[in-house]
Amino acid sequence: MNHLLNKQSLPELLQAWRADYDVYLPQRLEGFSHFMLLGDQKIGLPDRPHNTRVPPKALFLPMTEALVKYTRFGAYKDAELKVNPRIVFAVRPCDAQAVQLLDSVFEQERYSDPYWVERVDQTITIGLGCASGCANGFCTTVGYGPFSKDGLDALLTDLGDRYLVGTLTKAGEALFEKLDLADQATAAEAFEIQHQAHESMPIAFETENLKEKLQQNFSSTYWEQISESCLGCGVCTFLCPTCFCFDLVDETQRRERVRNWDSCMFRIYSQEASGHNPRPTRVERTRQRLSHKYVYWLDQIGQIGCTGCGRCVSYCPVGLDIRAMLRQAQSLPFEVNHAS
Amino acid sequence: MPDLAGIKAEAKRLLREGIVEVVLAFKASDSPLHPQPAFFRSEDEIDQLIYNGLCANNLARYLTRLPKQTKLAVVARGCETRSVNALIVEAQKKREDLFLIGVPCEGIIDWRKIIGHAGENSQLEAENEDQVRVRAGDSIFSLARADLLHESCRRCVHRNPISADIVIGEPVQEQGPENQEDFVNGFRAKTLEERYRYFQQEAERCIRCYACREACPMCYCAECFVDHIAPRWTESGATPAGTQGWHIVRAFHQAGRCTSCGACERACPMDIKMTWMTEKLNRDMREKYNFECGMDAQTKPPFATVTLDDKQRFTAGGSH
Repeated sequence: MNHLLNKQSLPELLQAWRADYDVYLPQRLEGFSHFMLLGDQKIGLPDRPHNTRVPPKALFLPMTEALVKYTRFGAYKDAELKVNPRIVFAVRPCDAQAVQLLDSVFEQERYSDPYWVERVDQTITIGLGCASGCANGFCTTVGYGPFSKDGLDALLTDLGDRYLVGTLTKAGEALFEKLDLADQATAAEAFEIQHQAHESMPIAFETENLKEKLQQNFSSTYWEQISESCLGCGVCTFLCPTCFCFDLVDETQRRERVRNWDSCMFRIYSQEASGHNPRPTRVERTRQRLSHKYVYWLDQIGQIGCTGCGRCVSYCPVGLDIRAMLRQAQSLPFEVNHAS
Repeated sequence: MPDLAGIKAEAKRLLREGIVEVVLAFKASDSPLHPQPAFFRSEDEIDQLIYNGLCANNLARYLTRLPKQTKLAVVARGCETRSVNALIVEAQKKREDLFLIGVPCEGIIDWRKIIGHAGENSQLEAENEDQVRVRAGDSIFSLARADLLHESCRRCVHRNPISADIVIGEPVQEQGPENQEDFVNGFRAKTLEERYRYFQQEAERCIRCYACREACPMCYCAECFVDHIAPRWTESGATPAGTQGWHIVRAFHQAGRCTSCGACERACPMDIKMTWMTEKLNRDMREKYNFECGMDAQTKPPFATVTLDDKQRFTAGGSH
C-alpha cells in the first residue's frame, strides 16, 4: 500500500510510536550520525539519506555482548537477553539489504543464533530510499539498488514536503495505516524518482565472471599489488554492513563470556594455538576479505555479500578502494568452466 | 605550492641511477579526496605519483613494512622526516639505506572538512598556503586553508623537513608554538573530573579497529599488547574498560617517541580525539628532559636511556 506522510507530522508520528516501541533513528553526533534511541527530545527531520558511520548491523550484532555469566566455582548461566519491540527508522536500503543477507548466516535450519533471531524478530525496519546517488556507493553494481526493498517493512520516497510510504509487510502497514493513501499520480511520481535514482548510479565495475577470476587467480601477484599499502586495521570490516565475524573471549574479571566484533584483517584473527597462521600477511587477509564477499557468499547463497554502501571506500585510512581493486581484477586472466 | 614536477624528477633520478629500489610516495585513487600511499619501483610508474595537501598518511609507517635492507626513498614532510629519525634511533632502519626527498608542508587538509563545505562529490582543484579551491559538480568553492587543516597540522612547529637529503620546493614559514601551547594548556586548565569525562566521551566511540595503531610509524611491535593472550593486558571488546585501557596505554607507549604528526587521529573512522594525550606527553618531554622526538637520528628518547647519574632511582622505594 502507498501512503502519504507529511514531513511536518513525522516527529509527532515517531513520538507516538514510542508508546509501543523503542524507536531508533540516525541522529547527528558532532561530525557524523549514528542510530540512537529516540527520547523525549525534539528532533528535526532526518537528513537526506546517508550512511551512518557505524552500520545498523550493530543493532542486531552489538560490538560487544555478554553471552554467558559464570561463577568462580564452575556454575554458569546464559546472559539475559531482553529486546523490546522496536522500530528502526530511516535505514538506507543497502544497510537493510545487508541485515537480510546476514540472516542467512545467523538464522539457518540447523543452527540459529538466538540473539540475532530475537533482535530481528522484534524489529520493524523502515527504509529511506536514496533519491540522489552517493559519491562512493555502488549498490546497483552489485545487484541491489537505492530503493531496494529487501529487509524492509516499509520504504519512504522523499517527495519534497512529504514522503510516499510504500508499506511492504503487515507490520509496516500497521504503522502507517491511519495515513491517507497516495493517489496514482503521486505514486507514479515516486516511481519515477526511484527509477531515476537507480539509473543515475554509475556501474563501478563489471561483475560478470568476477568470481571465476578471483578464484582462478588465487595465487596471482594481484593480491600483493592491491594489499601493499593496506595498513591491516579493521576499518573496512567493522564499518561494513555485511561483515559479521566475531570472537568469543572470557572476561574473567567480570566473569563473563563475551562476544566481540572481530576482523579477518587482523593478524590474530587467524592465528592458531600452535603458532601457525594460515593467513600470515596482509596479502592473504586481503584476499580473504574480497573473496568472502565476491566468491564465498556467491557459493553459499548465490548473492554477492557486499551491498555497495561505500563505507570501506570512504573511511579507509589509506584510500584503498574496493571498486578499483575489483576493476583491476576484471583484467585478470581466466578460463570459462564449461562443465558448470 | 608543492613542486610536483620537481619531486617526480628526483624520484625518477633515484630509481634510474639505482640509488634506491623503492620510492615511497602517494598516488591518486578513485576517490579524489583520498590519495593512496604507494610504492614506486620503476621510472614509468613515477608518472602516477601525486603530492597534494590531501596526502594524509605518515609514510614513515611503511619503513618497517619492507625488508630492513631495502634501499628506500621517502617523499617526506617535517613530521615524516622526524618519524624516520625516531625509527633510526630505535634501530629499525639504517640512515644509509634511506634517501629523504624533503617537502616543505603547508599542512594537511582534512577531507571531512571539505565535505562539510562542498559536499561528498568534491575534488581538489588548486591549493596554496592560504587558499584551497574545491570543485563540486559545477560549483567552485574557495576556502581558507587554515579552516581546513587537521588539528595536528594547525599546531605543527616543524613543517619543513629535518635532515632530508634534498629539499624540493621553497621552505615554508614555521608556525610558532602558541597553538601547541594553547592546546595543552587548555587541557591542563580543566579539572581532573572534566578531563576524565572528556576522555570517556572520546574513548566510548572507539570500535577497536586499531587504525590509530596501524597508521602510526612508531607502532611497529610484532605483537601489540592488546593482542597478547597470556597475560591479557586489557579487555578486547568495545567496553569502557577495553577502550579506555587501549587509549591510555597506546598513548603512554608513545612517550618520547611521538612526533605529533596526528596520523592516528586522521586514520580514526570514529573521529576520536586522541592527540591531546600525546601532546601533553610531548610537552613533558620538552619541559622535563629538554627532548623533542625526531630532531636528529642519534638522541635516544629519555625513557629509553639509563645512566649512572640518573637523578631518580628506577627501583621502588629508591630516593625521590
